[in-house]
Amino acid sequence: MKNELTRRDFIKLVGMAGGGLVLAVSLDACASDSPIPATLTPLSPTSTPRPRAPFDWAPNIFLKVDQDGILTVYAFRSDMGQGIRTAIAMLVAEELDVDWTAVRIEQVPADPRYGDQLTGGSVSISSNYSGLRLAGAMARQMLVEAAADVWDADPAQCATEAGFVIHPDKQQKIPYGDLVEAAAKKDVPKQTKIKEPSAYRIVGTGKGHWDAPQMVSGKAIYGLDVRVSGMSFAVIARCPVFGGTFASYNDSAAQTVPGVRQIVALDKSIAVVAENTWAAIQGRNALKVTWDEGRNASLSSEELRTAAKERIPQLGSSDKVMDAIYEIPFEAHATMEPMNCTAHVHDGICEVWAPTQNPQAVQMQVAAATRIPREDVTVNVPLIGGAFGRRIQTDYAVEAALVSQAIEAPVQVMWTRDDDLQHDYYHDLSVHYVSVVREKINIPRLQSSGSRSMVPTGAWRSVEHFPQGYVTQCFIDEMAYELGRDPLDLRLELYSDRAAQVIRLAAEKAEWGKSMPAGQGQGLAYHATFGVTHVAYVAEVAVDEDGRVRVRRVVAAVDCGEVINPDNVAAQIEGGIVFGLTAALKAEATLQAGRIQQSNFHDYPIVKMDEMPLVEVYIVESDQRPSGMGEMGVPPIAPAVANAVFAATGKRIRHIPIRPEDLKA
Amino acid sequence: MSSYDLQINGQAYTVEAEAQMPLLWVLRDLLGLTGTKFSCGVGLCGSCTVLIDGEPEHSCVTPVERAAGKAITTIEGLSPEVSHPLQEAWLEENVSQCGYCQPGQIMNAAALLQKNPDPSDAEIDVAMSDVLCRCGTYQRIRKAIHRAAEEA
Repeated sequence: MKNELTRRDFIKLVGMAGGGLVLAVSLDACASDSPIPATLTPLSPTSTPRPRAPFDWAPNIFLKVDQDGILTVYAFRSDMGQGIRTAIAMLVAEELDVDWTAVRIEQVPADPRYGDQLTGGSVSISSNYSGLRLAGAMARQMLVEAAADVWDADPAQCATEAGFVIHPDKQQKIPYGDLVEAAAKKDVPKQTKIKEPSAYRIVGTGKGHWDAPQMVSGKAIYGLDVRVSGMSFAVIARCPVFGGTFASYNDSAAQTVPGVRQIVALDKSIAVVAENTWAAIQGRNALKVTWDEGRNASLSSEELRTAAKERIPQLGSSDKVMDAIYEIPFEAHATMEPMNCTAHVHDGICEVWAPTQNPQAVQMQVAAATRIPREDVTVNVPLIGGAFGRRIQTDYAVEAALVSQAIEAPVQVMWTRDDDLQHDYYHDLSVHYVSVVREKINIPRLQSSGSRSMVPTGAWRSVEHFPQGYVTQCFIDEMAYELGRDPLDLRLELYSDRAAQVIRLAAEKAEWGKSMPAGQGQGLAYHATFGVTHVAYVAEVAVDEDGRVRVRRVVAAVDCGEVINPDNVAAQIEGGIVFGLTAALKAEATLQAGRIQQSNFHDYPIVKMDEMPLVEVYIVESDQRPSGMGEMGVPPIAPAVANAVFAATGKRIRHIPIRPEDLKA
Repeated sequence: MSSYDLQINGQAYTVEAEAQMPLLWVLRDLLGLTGTKFSCGVGLCGSCTVLIDGEPEHSCVTPVERAAGKAITTIEGLSPEVSHPLQEAWLEENVSQCGYCQPGQIMNAAALLQKNPDPSDAEIDVAMSDVLCRCGTYQRIRKAIHRAAEEA
């Protein structure tokens, strides 16, 4: 081991005492087992190491280190903007103890060695926290042992710092890159120590997304940017009514559109395959389809809402009970990058490039649909232009694989914006009966009913916690006014510990109860999404004569346990607020004649720059385990705004979105 | 199909395309310049913003025949080494979340700063409200534009 290491030509050393002076030592001059710095000579700018055979050391499935000391972290969860690639790398880099500039990230394909790769429920950090830290710490220990061998020193007396093992004398150090071959021959330690928070150099510092330089230069590769040699581009005509299919179609005009290559009938839809995306869209426009709309052709949101209401047993308001009904419409995900997938079925295998939150489910579903064995389906995960739960579904990947199989060539299937809004897996329409017994003032009881229809529904950022937070927090506000209590005081009576702490912090920072001009008001809400991360908001709104609500400021207090990347915690709060504001004030998906009526951002309007409130985020310091952030910013914003609207106008609106016509004088 | 001469990021390209084919698809599917993004397809969201003779345009609704012969700048051509003040400011302020709309945001901001080197919040709101971001990075975009304005 020692001999192999010392046969290497060059080791760069940074002299600690020399204040960062770069020194080099030629090991040829050293006896094989003598300590390294027999002679130290300044590294001249012209002296470069002779080329070495490349050697990457991958001590476990989470990382590798190469001979230049570059750490590559394998990201096994999907990044859709929540910053998980960066957070995973921060944990590994922290424990391995490398400089952040030496970190690279590679996304792994669907691979059962990583356990369940579904990115959802905001659990990527909380469920992998120890494993990632141990992966880094074990690798670090093996590097330390390798260095200790070189020096004939006690590994326990060696330290590490930013990619170097430090000799017990603090005068010598060896870069990780020079130790990887020796470390590779070490046994994986049976146990190892992880860092104390006081020793953190990376965790707890604000880091931008590792991919950000690629993103701002147009070099980042999202699903739609995947290019495969010889590929075609396709769009698909789907029945606008859920559960419908095509009865017949005439593609003679579509076939004549320049660039159109092939029309492929799938089970219930028709794919137009072309040389480029635009030709595919033009081809689809020319396609004449007669739809068999099936039994949902008359279904509407109104009908579904009425039925949902009828299913809920209501106590009825009385001297003894306070109650209300709240309503939430269907919501779309409206990711900026629409659904898309690139697939190549060839030689009995299938390669997929899917911007997915759920690569293993894609692998399974594609295998089932194409009848290709699962192990022969490779699912690559490019960057993702927003997901919010939509990309847990596998529909768009299965389609692409089937089209590729049919045309026997690689293809990218793209969804246009109307495809994306009209064939979503929506956040379900729901009706909620909320009540509390006057003599036992407590957190109110909620009975909820969804659409129970053929309309596809699925996870939407914060899932059931969106309605739970909205209805509960609005109704607590109602209770406070009914009881003549201050909404803050009542909440502090209902909540304790970490919950009370964030409520108090947000209220204090927002100067809760300060006097506001006419037409303006403050609203408070708190929710613990998935029961784990505590978030409280105070929203300040102004409502004009036309009933338009302007959210001017949101003060946020967050307790998410130990913070990996504080800047990203703030970003997730900002993002959660904007996402929730779109639902609270602007957009809804409505069903009429069995189809979603909205088709683009003119009728599914999302929050714009000029509607962005000033957001201030205060993070509670905590030594609890990290509890997740991706979805937690969403639930408290709609109730904070609704409660502020009540404070500003005296009007209690029990549905979202709150429209100007709800508030007009 | 006709032949069009395009000047993109200072380079000359000749493409064979239908006259009505939007510049977006010429860039993405014919030339492999995928930094310019598709999102709405009808000029409502700004993800596809490029500069044409210095003006911000929605490339998804700009027929290639209208772009021919003009100076087109895409995100790939904004600066050789991610060194445009806006790109640097975007990194300093950690603007990007999913990052998908950011090329459009940056190109639109570049056009704004060319006309108005030191925009107020209100002026930023007016100029930037055409470019949508579902992740909610607006507050940081505003800060980044101010930072770039200061440093330019």
